[in-house]
Amino acid sequence: MGVVQSAERRRPWEEKNVVVAGVLAYLIPGAGHLYQGRLFKAAIYFFCILGTFFGGMKLGEGAVVYNSPNNKLGVSLQFLAQVCVGLPALPAVQQAKRAGAPNNQPMHELRHPLAAPFTGQLVTSGPGDEIHFGALEGRIELQPANESGFADVRGKFTGTLDGKPVDLDLSGGFLIDRPIGAGFQRKLSCGVARGTDLHPLASQTIRGSIPRSLIDAYAAPPDAATLHDLHGRLGKFYDLAIALTMIAGLLNILAVWDAIEGPAYGFGDEVLTADDEAAQVTASASKPSDPSPATGAATAPARR
Amino acid sequence: MLADLNVSWYLLPLAAVISLVYSASRYELPDRIVRRAARLFVTIVGCMAALFAVLWLFSFGL
Repeated sequence: MGVVQSAERRRPWEEKNVVVAGVLAYLIPGAGHLYQGRLFKAAIYFFCILGTFFGGMKLGEGAVVYNSPNNKLGVSLQFLAQVCVGLPALPAVQQAKRAGAPNNQPMHELRHPLAAPFTGQLVTSGPGDEIHFGALEGRIELQPANESGFADVRGKFTGTLDGKPVDLDLSGGFLIDRPIGAGFQRKLSCGVARGTDLHPLASQTIRGSIPRSLIDAYAAPPDAATLHDLHGRLGKFYDLAIALTMIAGLLNILAVWDAIEGPAYGFGDEVLTADDEAAQVTASASKPSDPSPATGAATAPARR
Repeated sequence: MLADLNVSWYLLPLAAVISLVYSASRYELPDRIVRRAARLFVTIVGCMAALFAVLWLFSFGL
């Protein structure tokens, strides 16, 4: 082509296996370039792409990267872009299968004792149409119980109600969200045992959430109720969060291409041969009115 | 806290990230990457600002 390419910039890229570099660049943005010794670009791709991806995850409360299990294609279009980020998005494939299992359903009974931090509200209903809410924060402990042949739940809540210490005995009316699902909080509600100071026509329930483990929450698909709740609370920020994770995936395509093929406009240190220099001198000599002097074209091939 | 911020402000860091990654995929020399990324960022933000101004003018008085 008439261009001699300097070995200095190109050597790290040429000496390493491009397949390994490409695979590493896909799995972790920047890892392929780190493998090739291109540290500056590795840092750019790593922080920019993963920063955008996890920024979107944070904005969407961890419920934006998932593969919809009900799609006939087997993969949702948004996930097609998100999966290009690599390892951070790949767990969604397995999580979709786990979430679609028949036993992954909301539960009205407990099989094992449960103890976890709880945040939510104490809802007092009645008498009549009165409803009162109080903020609860503390710890909940529940055990399965069997009374008169019926499975039930008994337990205790210890913490604060509107900032004041409180102990509540819990009994009946138990409902907990499915174990595997989007979001790092798992909804739970349970009835409160009737206290002596409660009106005979009133009832109390605690409604809130307990933490869901990372393995059960990360990249799991949300159900319809969770999606409705997220759209209601976050609005357009939820859509923005999905867009950020998709953009991160699409940017990683550029990073993988750079790892395999090198930079699109060259390594920037190409040097023209004597023939090309002579051609440039001839071209500038044929334009006497051109005020710009003939310049070394060391960077000319890289310009677009 | 994040939801209190106007959603349009998120476009600035997004434009910066896109400019950096795109420029890094085109060039190899660090100073060239940074220069081209800065230029692309100013172009993106300038075009967006112009579009916002046009939309604001069209919606004036509505």
